[in-house]
Amino acid sequence: MVKVYSITSCPWCEKTKKYLASKGVEFEVRNIEENDEYAEECEKISGDTMVPVTTIDGKNFVLGFDKAKLDALIAG
Amino acid sequence: MTKPIVHKDVVIIGAGMAGLTAALYAGRMNLDVLVLENGIIGGQIANATDIENFPGFISVSGSELIGTLQKQAEKFGAVVDEFDSIVKVSLRENPKIVETEEKIYQTDAVIIASGMNRRKLPLPEEKKFASRGVHYCEFCDGFMYQDKIIAVMGGGNAAVDAANFLTKYGKKIYLIHRSEFRADEVSQRRIRQNPKIEIMLQTEIKALHGDKKLESIDILDKKSGELKNLAVDGIFVNIGVEPNTALFKDELKLSPSGRIIAGEDCRTEIDGVFAAGDVREKEIRQLTTAASDGTTAALLAEKYISRLKETI
Repeated sequence: MVKVYSITSCPWCEKTKKYLASKGVEFEVRNIEENDEYAEECEKISGDTMVPVTTIDGKNFVLGFDKAKLDALIAG
Repeated sequence: MTKPIVHKDVVIIGAGMAGLTAALYAGRMNLDVLVLENGIIGGQIANATDIENFPGFISVSGSELIGTLQKQAEKFGAVVDEFDSIVKVSLRENPKIVETEEKIYQTDAVIIASGMNRRKLPLPEEKKFASRGVHYCEFCDGFMYQDKIIAVMGGGNAAVDAANFLTKYGKKIYLIHRSEFRADEVSQRRIRQNPKIEIMLQTEIKALHGDKKLESIDILDKKSGELKNLAVDGIFVNIGVEPNTALFKDELKLSPSGRIIAGEDCRTEIDGVFAAGDVREKEIRQLTTAASDGTTAALLAEKYISRLKETI
């Protein structure tokens, strides 16, 4: 399952979620504003102070909105 | 793989205030309208928290204003595609060509409303700390700085707005600007009253330091000449914008600042090609003037298309 670490009012997070939806990809939104565990996971995965972070396995991830990288991640 | 060829009456490049207003007007004139957006729908105002100078609203967020405008445009048939990026354009042909990653659009008219991008921090360390202390989206990344020390770089309305917004998260906000304020009086008054914000004018950021993440910055007080180190966890850069015109530089005349040269009627030197909003060289660039440009460009594009169809 694709997981999108994001916050509520974030235009690039919204764009990422809309893109995944447009491709018919099921994903779980992990809102780091509402859940401290998700916030810790998110920082551990990327090491960055930025969202969205999109991942499947918690190792490979896409930082921000990057269509080509999201396509590669989805394709596995 | 051959890309499919699709005809449109008008292709609008950019889904900010100018582009979506043009889409609304063009849609209401029954034109077949496509809006292409590479970045964020809403452009620069997507991040605006309180817009207080758009007629008809006491205060409205950028996302609410632009979301409503997008719905208005779509209600009249405009299609907004924010995922298919433009590869190249050929504006002097008839029909004109807008090629994206996935399709080739043939179109009678083009309205360029590609707006502006935020200017990057002009320091060599920018790359090292991008997304690890240097940021360009307060809405996206501000949350990561809970109880941290944040610097906002810039002195215009966007910087002031960003500093105010970031007080929601940070324990201390420095607003650092190399000259005097460019923000309007109302915004200046508001920021001066905020106890979390310390204003440092006539101050330049000279260097960034940190191991994996940003830890401190060197700042130069231009009045005293004193250089000092300031502990900072993150910088949000708001030092202005640059026009998004790389795609058009070979076909359209650009001003020294890189904006498209077009008249108040938004007509460029190429028939059927219009420039609207902040991307057009002009003296006043406001949300209201962007809406005005979008209106003008759409109405004149419709006239152009009607004349074009009469001659065929």
